[in-house]
Amino acid sequence: MASSSSSHQGEILKFAPLQSLVDAGFWRRFSSLKLDTLRIDQSPINITGFYAPCSNTEISNHLTLLSESLSPEPSEQSPEVEFRRGNRNRCPVPGILYNTNTLESFRALDKKNLLTMEAKKIFEDICSGKVEEDSAVLSRFLLISFADLKKWSFRYWFAFPALVLDPPATILDLKPASNMLNVEEAESLAAACNEWRNSSLTTGMPFFLVTISSSSHATIRPLKDWKVCQGNDQKLLFGFYDPCHRPKNPGWPLRNFFAFICLRWKLEKIRFLCYREKHGLADMESSLIGEALISLPQEWRDPQCIPKAVGWETNIEGKLSSRIISLAESMDPERLAVSAADLNLKLMRWRQLPSLNLDALSSVKCLLLGAGTLGCQVARMLMAWGVRKITLLDSGRVAMSNPVRQSLYTFQDSLSGGSLKAHAAVKNLKGIFPAVEAEGIDLSIPMPGHPVPAQEVDRVLEDCKSLQKLITAHDVIFLLTDTRESRWFPTLLCANENKIAITAALGFDSYLVMRHGAGPINSTLNNNDHSSITVNEAAQMGTLSTKDADGSCRLGCYFCSDVVAPIDSTSNRSLDQQCTVTRPGLAPIASALAVELLVGILHHPNRINAPGEIANSIIGSSEQPLGILPHQIRGSISQFSQLTLLGYSSSSCTACSSAVVSEYRSRGMEFILQAINHPTYLEDLTGLTELMKSASTFQLDWDDGTDEDADF
Amino acid sequence: MLELHHVAPIVHKTVVIKYHKLTMGSHKAWDGTLSSDDFYIAAKALCERWKEINSSLPQWTWIPSKREEGYLSLENVYHLDPNVDTTGEQGFSVEEEQEEQEEPADCATLVRCSHKDTHVYNFHIVYSFSYRVPVLYFRGYRCDGQPLDMHGGIKEDLDYSPSLLEEPKWTFMTQEEHPFLHCPWYMLHPCGTSEWMKLFLGPNQQDFVIFKYLASWLSVAGQAVGLRIPLNLHTEDVKKYASSINDGEVE
Repeated sequence: MASSSSSHQGEILKFAPLQSLVDAGFWRRFSSLKLDTLRIDQSPINITGFYAPCSNTEISNHLTLLSESLSPEPSEQSPEVEFRRGNRNRCPVPGILYNTNTLESFRALDKKNLLTMEAKKIFEDICSGKVEEDSAVLSRFLLISFADLKKWSFRYWFAFPALVLDPPATILDLKPASNMLNVEEAESLAAACNEWRNSSLTTGMPFFLVTISSSSHATIRPLKDWKVCQGNDQKLLFGFYDPCHRPKNPGWPLRNFFAFICLRWKLEKIRFLCYREKHGLADMESSLIGEALISLPQEWRDPQCIPKAVGWETNIEGKLSSRIISLAESMDPERLAVSAADLNLKLMRWRQLPSLNLDALSSVKCLLLGAGTLGCQVARMLMAWGVRKITLLDSGRVAMSNPVRQSLYTFQDSLSGGSLKAHAAVKNLKGIFPAVEAEGIDLSIPMPGHPVPAQEVDRVLEDCKSLQKLITAHDVIFLLTDTRESRWFPTLLCANENKIAITAALGFDSYLVMRHGAGPINSTLNNNDHSSITVNEAAQMGTLSTKDADGSCRLGCYFCSDVVAPIDSTSNRSLDQQCTVTRPGLAPIASALAVELLVGILHHPNRINAPGEIANSIIGSSEQPLGILPHQIRGSISQFSQLTLLGYSSSSCTACSSAVVSEYRSRGMEFILQAINHPTYLEDLTGLTELMKSASTFQLDWDDGTDEDADF
Repeated sequence: MLELHHVAPIVHKTVVIKYHKLTMGSHKAWDGTLSSDDFYIAAKALCERWKEINSSLPQWTWIPSKREEGYLSLENVYHLDPNVDTTGEQGFSVEEEQEEQEEPADCATLVRCSHKDTHVYNFHIVYSFSYRVPVLYFRGYRCDGQPLDMHGGIKEDLDYSPSLLEEPKWTFMTQEEHPFLHCPWYMLHPCGTSEWMKLFLGPNQQDFVIFKYLASWLSVAGQAVGLRIPLNLHTEDVKKYASSINDGEVE
């Protein structure tokens, strides 16, 4: 810049290189062309670039590739023909694209040779007179690329071959056109240029001849009218659409124009017009008129010569290197699916729930125990709420009867003995939403009342440990199995680790959805209430609590209102007992409620310690944007009714009482095995045996369970 | 553009009358929406108004499409940042090792000594048939064509209206398929448009609402995406169009 900041006579004329811009639409179109038509064919294809005179005082016009740059049929030659007439802002320039199939072959391309080949074409077009018919071939360009269609990234490199004049052209003068012409000349030239640019016959001709008569009248003619322009006293200017914005430098196309003029017309002193625009009209302030001296290189006298050429484009940092463009954001269908799914949630936040915490939802890790009617539906609801991390645990296989009720499975999954549910569910979740981070675990949950044979002990203990690790690794555990006893161990583990646990259970025409309260030990400590008592100390001191941090009672777990320990559910005691025959509408209802409950918990400041709320008859009385956060929801389809209930933790609970949790802490798996093999052990431990003796007539099922719910 | 210029003045009067019959005749309060015919008229009015105030920005152009639909387009709005260094911004490493090459020294090539990072923005105004309001679509890209996304570039370019961005109510941006170009563009979601347009223009100014509509709308929506709208875009037009409407009613 500094060396050319003034146009002193005799200085070497410096040309501003053309810059490329590839519209994302070009790569999009090329990708489908590559996938559908070209496939592994690496033959070069003809493309068309577009440019226009500069129309901004600060920014040069770029040579642009658009989706239209690729012809509809790659086999057709000369795609530029169809753009000949038309858009004044898209002057077509022929180019050639070498796309390679690998990065290695991209790097291995002989760039010097490719550039020379294109330069040679330009040289030949000059010598043959083709340029006079179609001047755009002077700006012929070359593009090499490697399209990584898996990553939606495109490595590419442009070359704008310029024949090198040796010795180089020197400046005699270079000034704004308005300084070089008188007012009449400038006005006449501007009018002639505007006419040229607005005619569909001429607007696609980027090189032209300008004559200005002695009466200041300017005329523009195509190159083929060269003979008409000679003689007389008129001024002759060689004009071109200049993409460059710089006040002291002409743009790149002038280089080959010079080469053409000295080769074809043997001139050595050339007056040229760098044509530029403003607001779509000729601008004589930014357009330049200059005078330069050129001389024909000796070797060019031989028509077979290989002309010296330069023109590889620098990258965005100004280095001679390839560029990379990444379109994953706008081309990767998975990313698009993600943003589309997010949109609905964001709209909800915008319109209804400004406090909706989408990050909390997308980052929460959910473990679904059971991938049956409930598990499938809960997983779908979680995805709908923007939950992304879902682990499904199930040891079953997809049976022929499953797909109609279990919404993640298809007939195909049930063939050949059936796929493992854990795996089929994950596969189909990803089929629904590829961005879901789903994992399937094939594991059966150890259950009280299902005694373990001696040879199985090791395996069961292994399963216990796996389950424990899984629960530790997740934030929320959904208990969605079809038996009551299979919920016992997970409930205990959740109580022990203070994890959010949500149970959904189905009867024939009734359902229960509930969240478990905090565990007996962690609840005081997780709440930063400045307690100096550690877990172990608390356990030793027997201060395990049925209270929450704020002194209110802990909410109960699924087992808290039972007066029997979980056993093999062939006996006639529990709601789950009929679960294999339920009205089909129940599972979606209960699953949806379970997920809505979770969303409520995640948005409550006290999370797991949030007090249970009861539905109020006064509509809209809740202060929370999401409404109340109940403890239990029980519903009956036969009555089309639904109740919210509240039940506190029981000190005799077989799953979450401090007696059970501290026993598990001190004895670990040994305790678990004992509980599995001897369920009455749990009843003894928690005092339920005593309780039952004292109230032998007391029986509880959920229909009249409301009686004992406080605050109702 | 040229075509627009010729057609617009004629369209004005005839359609004003029609508009009065259609919309004014129904005695309901105006709900802030536009019919698709109204949108077309409003679009032409915006183009003309834009040209009159001689904005330094490029011109709005009506891009016709099949079935007499179309959209408004404003292309090549530049955002220059003189002190941005884009190296590594896009999150992939450029492995240049084997690729840099020597080109023969050429004293006639101007070597760039400073690099300005130029961002280019295109804006389209598309009519939403479901919301019956205009929707602003836009996209930005670096000067080499690399699209800008919300995290890499667009947010920075919008930095002079951060307080507006804080309010998600009407600056809600999302990537959606462009209804005509069928590739993802950013858009301002039209959920709330009719409501704030109703507030903005008020129920008593319905007479000229169709001509003011896009200019008023753009002064809000454009601001959200960093499109600097000339201040005088929607100040003068009421007086101007009042007379033309009166003429129309007399006939």
